[in-house]
Amino acid sequence: MANATETSDVPRTAVRPADDERNVKLLFLVPAVVYLLLLSVVPFIYSVYLSLFDARLTRLDRKFFIGLENYQNLLTDPLFLKAIQNTVVLTVSSISLEIVFGFLCAKVFLSLREMRTGQVLRSLAILPMMITPICVGLMFSYILNPTLGVANYLLSSIGVEGPSWFGDPTFALPTVIFINAWQWTPFMMLLMLAGLVSIPSSLYEAAELEGAKWHHIARWIELPAIRDVIIIGLILRVIDNLKLFDLVYVTTRGGPGDATELITYFAYRQDFRFFQVGYGSAAAVIILLMSIVVTTFAVSFLRRNQR
Amino acid sequence: MNRETKALPLVAAVFITFIFTAPIIWMVMAAFKTVVDIYAVPPVWVPDFTYLENFKVLLSDNWPFLLNSLIVTVGATVLSLALALPAAFGLVYFQFRSQNFLADWILSTRMMPPIAAAVPLYMVFNGFGMLDTIPALIIVYAGFNLPFAIWVAMSFFRNIPREIIEAARVEGCSWVQTFRLVALPLAKSGIATVATFVFIFAWNELLLALFLTTREARTFPVVISSFSTVTRTYWELISAATIIQILPPVIFTIIMQRHIVSGLTMGAVKH
Repeated sequence: MANATETSDVPRTAVRPADDERNVKLLFLVPAVVYLLLLSVVPFIYSVYLSLFDARLTRLDRKFFIGLENYQNLLTDPLFLKAIQNTVVLTVSSISLEIVFGFLCAKVFLSLREMRTGQVLRSLAILPMMITPICVGLMFSYILNPTLGVANYLLSSIGVEGPSWFGDPTFALPTVIFINAWQWTPFMMLLMLAGLVSIPSSLYEAAELEGAKWHHIARWIELPAIRDVIIIGLILRVIDNLKLFDLVYVTTRGGPGDATELITYFAYRQDFRFFQVGYGSAAAVIILLMSIVVTTFAVSFLRRNQR
Repeated sequence: MNRETKALPLVAAVFITFIFTAPIIWMVMAAFKTVVDIYAVPPVWVPDFTYLENFKVLLSDNWPFLLNSLIVTVGATVLSLALALPAAFGLVYFQFRSQNFLADWILSTRMMPPIAAAVPLYMVFNGFGMLDTIPALIIVYAGFNLPFAIWVAMSFFRNIPREIIEAARVEGCSWVQTFRLVALPLAKSGIATVATFVFIFAWNELLLALFLTTREARTFPVVISSFSTVTRTYWELISAATIIQILPPVIFTIIMQRHIVSGLTMGAVKH
């Protein structure tokens, strides 16, 4: 408005092309940016603010500023510490399984990639990764159920008594890890396959002529070709595992005891079971900080490698 | 290579495929079993596939929630694309300071765990009286998939030869025309990929739906999770619901498998 008087000698219809262009460009970008600010940045800042209060979801008009007390309590809360420990164990072991088995599966399908049967089998084998996580959880609850499950029936037919997979504290977390790895191994497999197909077959032939053993080929030819895709897969899977919720929500609900308590599930329960939204928000902030640290570290590692 | 060298990998491939599909198939079979057969020991291996009672019972009570899921998912996909496509185009073709910063910032919002925004979103929608409504879910799902949609769309716009865009500009097309008449048609298959991914992500979502819905606007995953209660688990309903719920992702995986890798890695890896 202030400019209106200064530019009043310019005919109003003649908008300068540069200005016009600038506005059009803003039109492309601004809606998405504003939307993202409103839907993720603003709520997140509010979460940080809320984490400094003793606040209950049922009575949000009466909240008390308590500074960093929620964070102090979290770091001495055995359940939260157990949740962090479980999340780290889950993340490290399921990703390790995914990488090892993903690589083996990728090698198998690589050698069959020119064969129609191989392609059909591969497209069936990747089904787990896209299907709804709660359905995956329920599927395995059904299969591993101690009374009606087919897994323990098959075990008993060879004389082994299967445990209560989700009910026994020693088996619960490994079972969740196994299911998680089952769902995501196909993803790692596809990633590695994408890296492996880029290796020219002349390189394999040369290696064989030189008398290289399979582990030489794996170490010096295949690993360098798939290293970047492994790192990308790693970043995405770490973030996913920090967010993991659905799987334990429909299988163990964090139990038995605290055996499968995970950080996102912990935060969810604080917010919506105990209505301690201040405490829950503090947990959520810590989850986000963990994702940021991991991602920044991994991305800078990736960029350094690419240069 | 001859047939013999393929025999071993082929056996391995069949085994791998069995491992990754058998649990799904077993669940699908349960949907066609009576409650008695589901609990039978030894198990009933092959059910009577003409027994559709479980689906009838499930859908007669719960079809509104399936419809909710469909409306929410389609709505979120459309809204997300409407915001993401122009933004992705701008980030690829406009030259401006902070261009890379903006792209990185958008990517970084993808790292945000939904739980960190759930309580504030709950409060906002509560304030507007929009809790347990379909628009609230559409707005939230579109937002959470936006960074993903922008990044993947950017990778597809980058594949359009720059000369084509420049030629359109030289011929006197405005940016809007260049976007609508040149870039969008050329990126058609890419847009389809983005749309399908956003659809599947929204379709599979549970956490935010638990926060934001209570009765009317519940989505199908919320309903499925409620079939497992402390006192009883309704396996016959769960299995029937699972078939319906996983049908779109399964079809998508089979049809679009070429795009899955580049999609899930936000265009960082091409297959």
